[in-house]
Amino acid sequence: MKIPQDFSDKLAEAPDEVLAERAGDGDVAAFEMLARRHGSLMRAYARRLARSFDEADDVVQEALLTAWKDIASVQDGTAVKAWLMRIVAHRAIDTGRRRKTHHNLDDQPDPADSKPTPEQSAVAGSARRALNDALSRLPEEQRRCWVLKEFGGQSYGEIAEALGISETSVRGRLARARTTLVKEMEEWR
Amino acid sequence: MAMNPTQDCGRRIEDLSDYLDYGYSADSDHIENCPQCQARLAGLRSLSAAALDLLDDDVASLGDDPSWLDGMLANLRLETRAGRTIPLDGGDLDELSETEGAVIAMVRSVGDSLAGVLIGRCRLEGEVSVAGAPVEVSIHVSARYGHPLPTLAEALRSAVFDELQVQTELNVAAVHVAFTDMRPPLDESPEGQP
Repeated sequence: MKIPQDFSDKLAEAPDEVLAERAGDGDVAAFEMLARRHGSLMRAYARRLARSFDEADDVVQEALLTAWKDIASVQDGTAVKAWLMRIVAHRAIDTGRRRKTHHNLDDQPDPADSKPTPEQSAVAGSARRALNDALSRLPEEQRRCWVLKEFGGQSYGEIAEALGISETSVRGRLARARTTLVKEMEEWR
Repeated sequence: MAMNPTQDCGRRIEDLSDYLDYGYSADSDHIENCPQCQARLAGLRSLSAAALDLLDDDVASLGDDPSWLDGMLANLRLETRAGRTIPLDGGDLDELSETEGAVIAMVRSVGDSLAGVLIGRCRLEGEVSVAGAPVEVSIHVSARYGHPLPTLAEALRSAVFDELQVQTELNVAAVHVAFTDMRPPLDESPEGQP
């Protein structure tokens, strides 16, 4: 069935909370509109948390499936973007955990694919590029804490729960990450 | 403690992070008056600002790539939600039923067809799986400005009621409409209402 133009306009202009309500009732079109609205952000966030772009896309795929299953339980539809980001974070961390179990890569440095890609190197503004480069040199455990905090806006408690570590460890990792990043950015200046 | 800018005040990034992330710290008095802490805080704040710029760049560098999402969504094969089973009288020989999810989808579709109306959450309240039990329909509506709400509510109630009479055997006792969202008017008037 062809979707009438008027209806897709209504969906496109509907706020997240209305789309979330419809999606919770089983409306696939409303869910897809939410996915289109926030998909690039989910993908960018996943790329910062995952080891490779392929892994990031798998993470987004799994996150969307989880979101579809659970969206009826969302109480505050205005916070659906933050909720999607949290799901991406959890899926990314689970994926990392599975990878480690399979390959026993604990404590090994990141493989080459987390190096900046051409499109990231085209990042405008040298401050951002300096940050991008510094970030790619951080140990994975610190980088994740920092990304969850700064990109995901998550609290120490949420990060601790997601990573399965103590809040004290989160504070420590975050502080080490920030110390390094501030220093590298000051050197760049 | 005397505040001497030439001497390390002993505060660590952790201490400042609490202040930065939560806007408060037990150490606020010191932090707010210590030049060294203020300088470090400025560094941390510009790091956070650069982080948000970087995320914006990341998103922008992905560009608008609908085909990527199309692929993602196609792989998902999202299944609609069935909900409860609603009996239909198929005579002595048949056991007929429809799903709650299908009825809710129908209510959405009827409501969405009205100008200015977009249906949000829809609930069937009552024992829908018991034939003849009274059922109340509760609908959240997003309406566009410029449509008088009482008229809109009445039109929606009667359209939903009529459709349920035709398409189901539910004993609809009431249709409740709540306007939970208002959308600004469109620039043009694609719904044919200037």
